[in-house]
Amino acid sequence: MAQETRNDEHLAALMRAAQSGDGRAYARLLEQLVPRLRHIVRAQRQFLQAPDVEDVVQDVLLSLHAVRATYDPRRPFMPWLLAIVRHRLADAARRHARRAGDETQVGESLVTFSPHQPNMEPETHHDPEALRRAIQELPPGQREAIEMVKLRELSLKEAAAVSGTSIGALKVAVHRAIGTLRKALVKN
Amino acid sequence: MDTGRLIRHLTEGSQPAPPLPQPWVRTAAWLALSAPYVALVVLAMSPRSDLVEKMGDARYVVEQVAALGTGIAAAIAAFASTIPGHSRKTLLLPVMPLALWLGSLGQGCVQSWIRYGADGLSLRSDWICFPTIALVGAVPAIAMALMLRRGAPLTPHLTAALGGLAAAGLGNFGLRFFHPEDASLMVLVWQLGTVFVLSTLAGWSGRYLLSWRSVVGVARRRAAIG
Repeated sequence: MAQETRNDEHLAALMRAAQSGDGRAYARLLEQLVPRLRHIVRAQRQFLQAPDVEDVVQDVLLSLHAVRATYDPRRPFMPWLLAIVRHRLADAARRHARRAGDETQVGESLVTFSPHQPNMEPETHHDPEALRRAIQELPPGQREAIEMVKLRELSLKEAAAVSGTSIGALKVAVHRAIGTLRKALVKN
Repeated sequence: MDTGRLIRHLTEGSQPAPPLPQPWVRTAAWLALSAPYVALVVLAMSPRSDLVEKMGDARYVVEQVAALGTGIAAAIAAFASTIPGHSRKTLLLPVMPLALWLGSLGQGCVQSWIRYGADGLSLRSDWICFPTIALVGAVPAIAMALMLRRGAPLTPHLTAALGGLAAAGLGNFGLRFFHPEDASLMVLVWQLGTVFVLSTLAGWSGRYLLSWRSVVGVARRRAAIG
């Protein structure tokens, strides 16, 4: 109990410093919160996969950041944080249920064979390391767009919701990212 | 995005975010913004000719105090509802003045019925109440919406409904300074009815006015740009 109180006071002190613009204290606070948040999210939402858990943790960090002015320095820190976590977890559960509702389980179906052979030539990148480097060197907006749409295979609607941008802006970012990657790989 | 990188984006060059004042202090600021506008509308619409006489009428005074009290209590509750971890009991603040308001109007209806029978409870059309309360409550409503958006959208519908009740309560308070309608049933149906309709509409709009998506979207975009 005394340990919890001390922990809370420590976190509250970091939060007060963060509210007054101390970026280092703020970074320490968020870094110390991440393992706790992962633990809470895993315990409360056992059906979530590891990447989904990380998404919820990031969502909580962004929410905390957005409403950090609502923390009253005279009050304990953890009840404030847990209220945000509770609401974001409820939102995540709703999102998860919606996504699960959109998915249709399809059983194995018989396949007919066409005499026309499909294009079986796989598209290959001869240097995956160069591709990885090229993706890392993209501007942040383009990199995030390509990661969400092409690597994590989110739909445009989902990616727009996650990134907080419009579908149109996302399409443009993906298009530009592909152009930049093409140029970078050709140059290599 | 990697969580470590997100933390770097959020904290590098972080700006001060001073704590929001207490809900009652924010309510005082909201009243300070809204009261001059309400007074201006009352003056523009010219106060009722029997206003001085009405100030001596206990029922009129009680109803006005209850309307203003409901507006203030609802504003405090609305601001408190945007603070994570704040006591839920605060949300019940408007219940008392609202009960007083309803009770006073209910008693007025009963007295009219005892004194005049069924004639005492006649209901006429008074549609002007709706746009007029909306007009008097417009600036308080806009100020309330802007102030609520600085908080956390924990209960968007409830918060917006409380904000709507605050603005409409203040709107009704202003209306009765220039609208000479005191029959309890008429006030109950047309004026209090309008207050409830406006609060319900505000509650419905809560999901558009106050959402995590818009709040977090700004932080996410800044993190992505940073």
